[in-house]
Amino acid sequence: MSSPYVEAARRQGPPESGSSPPPSAGEAGEPDVRASPDGRWLWLPLGTLLAGLLLTALLAFGAAAQYRSNENRLLKLRVRDAGSLLTAAIPDVQSSLASAAELAAATNGNVQRFRAFVMPLVGTGAGHQFVSASLWRLSRAQRGPLTIVGVTPKLAAGSTASAFLTAAARSPGLGVIGLLQRPDPRLGFAFGYAGSSGGFIAYGESALPSNRRSPIQSSSSFAGLNYALYLGSSRRPQELLLSSVSHLPLAGRHAAETVPFGNSALTLVMSPRQPLSGTLAHNLPWIIAIAGVLITLAFAAAAATVTRRRRDAERLAGENRRLYSEQRGIAQTLQHALLPDRLPDIAGVQTSAVYRPGAIEADIGGDWYDVIALEDQRVLVVVGDVCGRGLRAATTMASLRFAIRGYAAQDDPPATILTKLSDLINISEEGQLATVLCALFDVRRHEITVASAGHLPPLLITDGHGEYLHSEVGLPVGVEVGASYATTTVLAPPSATFLAYTDGLVELRDEPIDDGLTRLRDAALASDSDLPDLLHELVDGLRHEPSADDIAILGLRWRN
Amino acid sequence: MAELEAEVLASQDGTAIVAVRGELDIATVDQLAAVVAPLLDTKPARLVFEAEQLHFADSSGIALWVMWAAAVEELQINNPPQLLRRVITTMGLAGKIHLTP
Repeated sequence: MSSPYVEAARRQGPPESGSSPPPSAGEAGEPDVRASPDGRWLWLPLGTLLAGLLLTALLAFGAAAQYRSNENRLLKLRVRDAGSLLTAAIPDVQSSLASAAELAAATNGNVQRFRAFVMPLVGTGAGHQFVSASLWRLSRAQRGPLTIVGVTPKLAAGSTASAFLTAAARSPGLGVIGLLQRPDPRLGFAFGYAGSSGGFIAYGESALPSNRRSPIQSSSSFAGLNYALYLGSSRRPQELLLSSVSHLPLAGRHAAETVPFGNSALTLVMSPRQPLSGTLAHNLPWIIAIAGVLITLAFAAAAATVTRRRRDAERLAGENRRLYSEQRGIAQTLQHALLPDRLPDIAGVQTSAVYRPGAIEADIGGDWYDVIALEDQRVLVVVGDVCGRGLRAATTMASLRFAIRGYAAQDDPPATILTKLSDLINISEEGQLATVLCALFDVRRHEITVASAGHLPPLLITDGHGEYLHSEVGLPVGVEVGASYATTTVLAPPSATFLAYTDGLVELRDEPIDDGLTRLRDAALASDSDLPDLLHELVDGLRHEPSADDIAILGLRWRN
Repeated sequence: MAELEAEVLASQDGTAIVAVRGELDIATVDQLAAVVAPLLDTKPARLVFEAEQLHFADSSGIALWVMWAAAVEELQINNPPQLLRRVITTMGLAGKIHLTP
């Protein structure tokens, strides 16, 4: 991140090139992260909803199709079964009439024998095959039967009867005819041998219920079905023999089967009254649909909740970033307030300073610098570093800085100032200590008097030659009350440049501090920029990103 | 991210020994302080740090030691790496913090 840093560069010289404005709180250039526009968060829940409903619909339709195909298959099987049962009823009727016809042929139409034979088969009760049985001579069929047992046959003598009986006699099986006019509909059966001389035909009629209704018994294996039975292969209402319902034709799902019935045929139409594959199979599509919709709604609601929470979290994060940048702005403003507004103009020398905050910019560092003009063209230069960061370090820094101004006003020499500072803070009580470098310049005499409370040595550069002023280093301020400090005085050559700084400029984690000092000296010697530019170059060139520590550097250069 | 390990090796007969490894800076000073604070309650005469594997200490770490040095008769750092030794001497603290050897 190329963070915009605050520079409190103070240049000696024309006021217009002086102090830079304090940073504004909002300038941080953070992307303005707001919650996504309303509605965009709806995509996920809506998508979930659509996908879920689509899947549910597919499953439900699949189940319904499967159910339909099952039902149709089962229905077809049942109709086929029922058809076979109907076909199986033929032989009984046929054998009775065949025996009677044979008897008649053998006895040459003996009426008594015929009557005796068919008598037990005829009646109106449940156990009887026919309501009417009669014996006909084929050649005289038009004149009516030879004899009748039971009620009068509906097959009236005439050409219709003759044609039917002739056809029945010629066919190898049973002749069947529907006599379905109301009231008293009947079904007629005929069997005879056309080949024998004269030819006799045994004819029987079975009664059908007058309303043709015959419900299936509930104990039957076809109990769950409605049916309609027609004579022949058509389904015309007038051909209806029996049905379990009054309203025809059968509506809804149905299946038909036509089976041979004597020389005619029967057509059976069936329709299920209840699902053949069970109510669960019938309801499964609905169960799937309802469960699917409920599950989909639950998922969509969960997705909506999650999305909304994430949106809220994003908004909060954006808010936090804004607050952080605001707080950073406040911290920078405070730091700015604690450092000198502008450096004093001093005849004969130029002074400049740069302060650059560390990586944790919301936190205030404890580095400071100061330039105090004294009488007789003397200047007191101070660079200090309160260990630690935060408001506490900053307030300690401020109190030390203003205390020094007070002592300097009393004209205390550097060593005395440091000793007095030692009485101000105490590490055992506040847990804080500070390194301070005090340098007193006599501009006219080119004299520099330096006292150091645990601070890094200042660098003196003259005409391509750089040298650290290794004065005797005393204890940092705060370690010992009344600590004493030694001073070192050097003579500065003309146009000499004096640089004091804090450890952030030269300290790296994985190298001895001497390497950092060498780098600083080499960099300072390599540049021929004017003082303010030199300081910026040094800070830019030596600072290693990301540097947690803040950096202060102050320079003083004699004018020629 | 800087990491620090601190471990009490011994605390008897008025001497407390703490091994410190890693990096001691503003982010980790509280960690060391938490380990050493209970030892100070026993009022040891000597507080010894085994610092052979302490790769870095910034001024907040140094400040911590200086604070403890005021609380005991002798604060000793055994086998400090060259980097650490140089920082302590640069800050003029060699008289307060006893470096061995």
